[in-house]
Amino acid sequence: MSSKREIASLHKVVKNYGEGKVLTKALRGISMKILEGDFSVMMGPSGCGKSTLLNIIGGLDRTTSGEVKFNDENFNTLSNKALSLIRRQHIGFVFQNYNLLPVLNAYENAEYVLMLQGVAPAKRREKVMHLFQEMGLDGLENRYPRELSGGQQQRVAIARAVVTEPQLVLADEITANVDSETAQSLLELMATLNKNNSTTFLFSTHDPAVIKFAKKIIILKDGIIHSEKASIEETGQFAHR
Amino acid sequence: MKLVKISWRNLWRNSTRTNVTITAVALCIAILIIFQSLIIGLIGKAVHNTTNLVVGEVQIHAIGYLDDRSIYKSLKNVDKIRAVAKENNIGMVERSYGFGLISSGTKSAGTQFWGIDPESELKYFDFANHIDEGNFLTKTSLKKVVLGNKLARSLAAELGTELVIFVQGADGSLGNELFYVTGILGNVADNIDRGAAIILRDDFDILFSTNNLIHEIALNSNGKLEAEEIQKLMSAKAAGVAVETWKELMPTIAIMTEKMSVFMLTMFSLIFTIAASLGVMNTLVMSTYDRMKEFGIIRAIGATPWLIIRQVSLEAILLTFLASIIGTVIGLSIAIYLQVYGIDISGKGNLAFGGIVFDPIWRASVSLKSVFLPVVLMMLTSIVASIYPASIAARIKPVEAIHYKP
Repeated sequence: MSSKREIASLHKVVKNYGEGKVLTKALRGISMKILEGDFSVMMGPSGCGKSTLLNIIGGLDRTTSGEVKFNDENFNTLSNKALSLIRRQHIGFVFQNYNLLPVLNAYENAEYVLMLQGVAPAKRREKVMHLFQEMGLDGLENRYPRELSGGQQQRVAIARAVVTEPQLVLADEITANVDSETAQSLLELMATLNKNNSTTFLFSTHDPAVIKFAKKIIILKDGIIHSEKASIEETGQFAHR
Repeated sequence: MKLVKISWRNLWRNSTRTNVTITAVALCIAILIIFQSLIIGLIGKAVHNTTNLVVGEVQIHAIGYLDDRSIYKSLKNVDKIRAVAKENNIGMVERSYGFGLISSGTKSAGTQFWGIDPESELKYFDFANHIDEGNFLTKTSLKKVVLGNKLARSLAAELGTELVIFVQGADGSLGNELFYVTGILGNVADNIDRGAAIILRDDFDILFSTNNLIHEIALNSNGKLEAEEIQKLMSAKAAGVAVETWKELMPTIAIMTEKMSVFMLTMFSLIFTIAASLGVMNTLVMSTYDRMKEFGIIRAIGATPWLIIRQVSLEAILLTFLASIIGTVIGLSIAIYLQVYGIDISGKGNLAFGGIVFDPIWRASVSLKSVFLPVVLMMLTSIVASIYPASIAARIKPVEAIHYKP
C-alpha cells in the first residue's frame, strides 16, 4: 500500500460559506491522501461536505484555509487558468446529473476534452470509439443526450471522464439518478477501468451499493472525516484506520 | 469537432431568438449599405458637378495669378502640360481672362471676359450646356458673347443685343469693340452668373491686344483619376507654375462636402451599429445565462476562460456573418436599384446649396467601400458587443455554475 504513488493530498482543509450569522462550515479541517489506483468512496449524510470536498480536490472550488496538493502542486498558488489546465490533463469528472453538453452528440461529448487537449482528430476518433466499444456505447455515437436513457447518458459522462486517461476521476453521486441495475453496471464498468488501467476513482455517494466496490470507505460527518476504512480486498477485512 | 461547429449549434438552440436578432442586424446592415451608397452618390455627384461644371479637377496658373488676376501673369510653354494631359487622357481647356467694362444702352457693368475655345469647353466641361437662352459660342462666333444670366439682367441685354466693350489692352492701349449677345447662361455659379462675358479666344486677343495668352488651364479626367494624381502628374512635368486641385481652389466646398459626408455617415453608422450591437449583446447575454450550467461544465472539464470568450465571440461573429450576407443581399439590391433609377428630389432644375450643385435625381453610388464598411463595422461592433456576455461566461465559478438554475 505504501508503495502506491500519492496523487493528491489535503492538509487541514477548511471551507466556509457565507459569513457572520449565516456562516456555514462545510469542511472543518480535513486531511487525507489519494493514492494511485484508489477506488475510494466517501459517504455521509446530506450536507456533511462530500460534494464540497470533491470540488476542492478537483480544483473547482478553493479552500478557506488549508492546503490541497495535486502532483505536488499547491492549488492555493495556482491561477484559475492553471487549475483549468490541471483538470483538463489529469482529472475527470462525473456528475450526478450527467451534465452532458446538449448540442454535442455522444461521440462529441466524449471527444470534447481530447479536443481541448489538442489531440489529433484521428487519434481522438480511435480513442473514443475504442472506449465506446468497451463501454457498450457503440452504435450510440450520433445520438444527442436527449435521445439517450439516463444510464446511457451516465456511461457517456464516464467515457468523457476517462477517455483522456486521467490520474483521478471524481464521481459525485453518479448512481443517484439511475436504476439499481444500471448503477450496478456503471460501478462494474468503473471497477474494471480501475483494475485494468489503474485509474484512481473517488466517489461521493449515499448509495450502499457502491460500498461493495470500494477499496476504501471514508465516512464524513459535519465536515470532518469521521472514519476511514480499507476494504476486505485491500486488508482482508474492512478495517478502521 | 471544431469550436465553430459548437458555436454554430449553440446559435440555433433558440432559433426564434437568433432569427429575430439576425433579421434586426441584417436590416441595419442593409440600411447602412443603402445610406452609405446614397451619401457617396450624393457627395460624389456634387463634387463631380462642381468639378465638371467649370473648375475641373485641377487647374494650372502662373504663380501668383490667382492673387491679383493680372493679365500679365500668363502661362508660358504649355506644351509639356498638353503632352501629359494627352498621354494620360485628361481633358484640358485653355482660358484667357481679362477685365473691362461692358455697356448696353444706358446700363453698364464691370465684367470678367473669358477667352475660350468652345469646342474643348463643350467636350470637357458642362457649363456650356447650361445655356438658358440662345446658343453657346461656336468656332465661328466672332464678335459674339455669352453672358451670365444676372449680368444680362443688369444690362437689360437680350439675345442679339449690341454691347459696347471697353478694356485696357495688355499693351496699355484702349480696346473697344461691339459684340452681340448670342446666348445667356442659366444658373451656373455666382461669379459666372454675375460677371462673366464669354468670347472666343481670337476675339479676346484682338480686344486685349494679346497674342494667345493663357491664364488658366483646367484639367478634367471626368473622375477617371483622382485630383491629387493629376496634380502629381502635372507638377512633375511643369515647373514654375501653380498646380492646384479643386479642393485647394474651392476649400469651402471641399470642406463642406467632406464634413457633410463624414458627419452623415458617422451619425447613421453610429446609430445603426449601436442599435444592432445592442441586439447582438442582448441575445448573447440571454444565451449566456441560459447556458450558465454548461459553461460551468466545460470549465470543470478543462476549458480555460479564454476558450469560453472565444466561443461566445465566435457565436457573435457567426450571427453577424449570417446577418451580413442577408443584409448585403437586401442592401445591395436596393442600392443598385437606386443607382439605376435614383430618387427624384427636385421639383425643377438643379439644386444648389452653398455653392454645391446637386442633381435633381439623387442616385446611389454602389462601391466596394459602401458594402465593405457597414459589414466590417457591424462585425467589429458585434465582437465588441460580445465581450460583455463573454466575460460573464468566462468569469463564472465552475462550482457555482454547475448548480446554476436559470
